[in-house]
Amino acid sequence: MSATATNSGSTDSGSARPLDGVRVIDVGNFLAGPYAGTIMAEFGAEVIKIEHPQGGDPMRRFGTTTARPDATLKWLSESRNKKSVTCDLRQPEGVALLLKLVAKSDILIENFRPEAMESWGLGWDVLRAANPRLVMLRVTGYGQTGPYRRRAGFAHIAQAFGGLNYLAGFPGETPVLPGTVPLGDYVASLFGAIGTLIALRHAEQTGRGQIVDVGIYEAIFRILEEIAAAYGLHGVVREREGSGSFVACPHGHFRTRDDRWIAIACTTDKMFERLAAAMERPELASAELYGDQRKRLAARETVDAIVIDWVASLDRKEILDRCLAMEVPAGKVNSIADIFEDEHFLARSNLSVLQAEGLGEVVVPGVVPRLSKTPGRITHLGPTLGDATVTVLTELLKLNAAEIAALREQRII
Amino acid sequence: MTASANNTHDERLPLKGIRVIDIATVIAAPYCATLLGEFGADVLKLEHPDGGDALRRFGTPSNRGDTLTWLSESRNKRSMTIDLRTPEGAEVFKSMIARTDVLCENFRTGTLERWNLGWDVLRQVNPRLVMLRVTGFGQTGPYKDRPGFARVAHAMGGIAYLAGMPKGTPVTPGSTTLGDYMTGLYGCFGVLMALRHRDLTGEGQFIDAALYESIFRCTEELAPAYGMFGMVRERQGSSHNDFAVPHGHFSTRDGKWVAISCATDMLFARLAQAMSRPDLAAPHTYGEQEQRLAHRHDVNEIVRDWCGSLTREEVLQRCYATDTPAGPLNNIADIFGDRQFHARRNMVAIDAPDTGEQIIVPTPVPRLSETPGSIRSLGPKLGEHTEEILRELLGMSDAEIAELRVRKAI
Repeated sequence: MSATATNSGSTDSGSARPLDGVRVIDVGNFLAGPYAGTIMAEFGAEVIKIEHPQGGDPMRRFGTTTARPDATLKWLSESRNKKSVTCDLRQPEGVALLLKLVAKSDILIENFRPEAMESWGLGWDVLRAANPRLVMLRVTGYGQTGPYRRRAGFAHIAQAFGGLNYLAGFPGETPVLPGTVPLGDYVASLFGAIGTLIALRHAEQTGRGQIVDVGIYEAIFRILEEIAAAYGLHGVVREREGSGSFVACPHGHFRTRDDRWIAIACTTDKMFERLAAAMERPELASAELYGDQRKRLAARETVDAIVIDWVASLDRKEILDRCLAMEVPAGKVNSIADIFEDEHFLARSNLSVLQAEGLGEVVVPGVVPRLSKTPGRITHLGPTLGDATVTVLTELLKLNAAEIAALREQRII
Repeated sequence: MTASANNTHDERLPLKGIRVIDIATVIAAPYCATLLGEFGADVLKLEHPDGGDALRRFGTPSNRGDTLTWLSESRNKRSMTIDLRTPEGAEVFKSMIARTDVLCENFRTGTLERWNLGWDVLRQVNPRLVMLRVTGFGQTGPYKDRPGFARVAHAMGGIAYLAGMPKGTPVTPGSTTLGDYMTGLYGCFGVLMALRHRDLTGEGQFIDAALYESIFRCTEELAPAYGMFGMVRERQGSSHNDFAVPHGHFSTRDGKWVAISCATDMLFARLAQAMSRPDLAAPHTYGEQEQRLAHRHDVNEIVRDWCGSLTREEVLQRCYATDTPAGPLNNIADIFGDRQFHARRNMVAIDAPDTGEQIIVPTPVPRLSETPGSIRSLGPKLGEHTEEILRELLGMSDAEIAELRVRKAI
């Protein structure tokens, strides 16, 4: 393993950030919704994570465990920059405490099943009364409305429901996971963060807050190109494409002589012409042979076989050197070990190294996207349970030591 | 399927008054402009006079000669032709930039600079400008000049390696344009923050978004686990069983598929109940995650057999009855028949102008309670609004516009 970039996403660690002064209360668990808080925190928002006093967010125990029982690697990376405050929302005193926090905040993020918040006395009417400018991000598997709204919805299920999982794998074979299990959590959170920023802008202009409602399944469905239009018009049911693509050829993953994989994407005729040149087979791109995308698609097995044979005849480095010399869109199918060795990841500081209390160095993905004037940064990894409880209650809610002690006594915090 | 053209909420659109120029192509940066347009921004799509955006030719053809993807994803945009490589075109472009809030581009690095339209030039024209720059590999680093497509970005970012059967060929992670859309989302998030900063300080900036980074950022603990323990995650097939069992895809008697994910012991107990096999969740059998992880093949086999003995509908009804996290692997035909998609109005049918076709497109995500997004038009024809935009934005006369045409600048 090679060395990685040091510190956080930005080297300019004191610069202004675009969400400075925005306060977010995150009462969610796991990633769908809370990830919106994570990226807002990278760009300066103060994100206060509200956790149950016994054990906190279950994401602390989900994923690869560490020497610390309160923190998996997933927790450490994806709860970056947040503060942790314990508060039991199932007790009236906890509800009262949350309402006081909401009154002093801009955004509330939650991902309980619909009506759970309402059952604790934290419905929209109550929250809006506490803070008319509040923006509330609600992320669930199926959204806040519709017949399935109360169903248990995890990313895996919602992605399958939204139509993505059906499409991953070889035609006629078992559908596989589309690479990363909680993809739907990330995508739904990105949509949620966009909606939240739009709603925040509106709230600041008009004084009126609102709800941003995201179903994980619909976030996934939204990014499936023309799949709905093509079915609606022509009854075409898109099926699994294996490692290829229906619209272009050659366009897929190919095994090299040293048993590694590369991706080649010849989206246009020009790209194929470059590939033919890289293969020292320029005749392949002639008008009589496969110069035209339609001809390649009609003869895709033949064309793919030629590329498969060529790629298998050389080591990965040689193939890539030849492709890149001709500007063929091609690249390594990177494992995480490849990524740690990659000079481009290093140059872009995509791997950040931070210290985790009691664990030493932890390598995590850096900040995305990159803003030229107000870059985001990682200030710290996922907090210990309740690390900011006293600070927040003292400084923000002006509670005194006796009041805090009483809340502890009653196991509210 | 929902019908009826979408109602408009013009007076409530939260980004009304924001002007966006989209000189990008295909999906990545244009999708950022699409999102802004759904929420009320005035999006001007600037295209090369010769054929325009390649997205017009990407996907299933419409009767009009463009494609269904174009019609859906260029929703709410106005199209103007312009050749940025002509001196007149560049001047018109700069005049427009002076009156614009956001610019979206995704040329290869150095292209706009070569045309003398790079960030340093444009920020002089408009110091308040927010510019989204999307490329495969970013504006910096050793690979910055390489051509970047989403497939290559999926491979570079680490997700393609993880999709497929263990030791088998890595497959496409469901959609070849996943990285494009995800970069559009990250880009839009960046644009909205940069607009906020600009409103507060008057200072514009650019956002450097790379397709591969959007993918890599969403690989959860892949990097920390390798960094700390040297663990290289491999392809997981249809089940992700590193932390939870059962957690994957299972086929049913009628040749369909369901997803079941039991992340916790409680959820497995519910599944065992749905299977009428509560004994499976007992302390001495598979009640604890550790036991299930240790005997993952046995547990998966039991679940596979059970699913294989029933139709998809039967499996799902039993799972729903005990609140087990389960659902269908929907194809698009399933989706069209699904009550939840109907109830949430996730699709709308819109009559496409000049094609005689009704196009069914996904409605805006996310759903804002007070200021919802809307679809006010489908993708425009090439240059449909050229003259309208030049008159409205730059106050040009017919003669000036005719002159630009003669010079092939528009």
